[in-house]
Amino acid sequence: MNEGGVWPGPVRLLHWASAVLVIAALGLGTYMVQLVKDPAERFELTQTHKSIGIAVLALTLVRLCLRILTNAPNPDPAAPFVLLAAKVTHVFLYGLLLVMPLSGWLMATTTPVRVPTFVFGLVELPYPSSPDLATYRIAHTIHVVSAIFLALLIVLHVAAAIIHAFVWRDRTLARMWSRRSAM
Amino acid sequence: MAKSSRIISTCNIRTLRRLFALSALAFLPFADSGGATAAQGWRIDEAHTWIGFTIDAVGFPTTRGHFNHYSGNVLIDFDRPAKSFTSFTVDSTSVDLGAQAFNDFVKSSPLLNAEKYPTLSFVSTRVEKLDSRTARVIGNLTMLGVTRPIVLMVNVEPDPSAKGRAVAFVATGTITRSEFGMTFGLPLIDDALEVTVKTRALTDE
Repeated sequence: MNEGGVWPGPVRLLHWASAVLVIAALGLGTYMVQLVKDPAERFELTQTHKSIGIAVLALTLVRLCLRILTNAPNPDPAAPFVLLAAKVTHVFLYGLLLVMPLSGWLMATTTPVRVPTFVFGLVELPYPSSPDLATYRIAHTIHVVSAIFLALLIVLHVAAAIIHAFVWRDRTLARMWSRRSAM
Repeated sequence: MAKSSRIISTCNIRTLRRLFALSALAFLPFADSGGATAAQGWRIDEAHTWIGFTIDAVGFPTTRGHFNHYSGNVLIDFDRPAKSFTSFTVDSTSVDLGAQAFNDFVKSSPLLNAEKYPTLSFVSTRVEKLDSRTARVIGNLTMLGVTRPIVLMVNVEPDPSAKGRAVAFVATGTITRSEFGMTFGLPLIDDALEVTVKTRALTDE
């Protein structure tokens, strides 16, 4: 039983590692599409973006296993609405952290402009089906729309953490941040 | 009293430069008398030579590149333009798009396939003078092992400050790459490949 303790060390580490990678992927994706004019730079940034995305996918799968297998620390008492909002946000975050890299992978697989992807230069990403423009366009729409939702949810998630820590002054953030619970 | 000039362009290889110097002398006997400039001394100004291309794609910046290694020759008959001739060969492994990763991808098999087809070549079959500054050059382009005719519009501009000792050429044309079997990326990447060859020929006379 995890009574008011903190999240286990590996869980916390993976959460913050994932946060860094997700924000990097979102930032890079937006920058490379909206602001980069040089095609060579765009090409290289896209390769990096794909590597980060696959890393997020791998991390998310590991984190989901951990989440199912470990006991979550009990949340601080809060209004039912707050607890529900937290639950829903977290479920959607996990979901989007799967939908984003999977839709990106589908884009890379089905685009007529098929470019080999080597995840951080090490492992070649398989493309399980053939190029198909219609599927590519659908995958692209899912990827872009999901990115917007993800960005909004991240803002909500961060704002909530700040409110928990500095307005309500409970231990919610501390549980993901500290080694010890502040009893 | 036909006046013909042979202009030999070479790439960035020292040996070829030396060969050129020797071969220019070899062509002297073939130059028509007329006394004047004839074949001697015309050479390509490498600093003003550019063999490049651009291609558009959906949702991607316009891609520009050029080739660093090439060779070719131009024979111009100013009095009988139809007898002019040009041919050039481009080293496809020398493609340069600004970054190594991008270059490597363009050299790979869905695109230039440089390992299997190390050269691209063009040989003119017909030259039509349109006016004092423009010519239409029709010739055969060989790319990915396929040979098809293409049309280039060439601007010929003697340099006024060089007193007849320098002529600038700008050749432009559009290659329909699918005709040569290069169908990668269609329809997201355009079928039309715009090519531009700029060069400047100089003589010391």
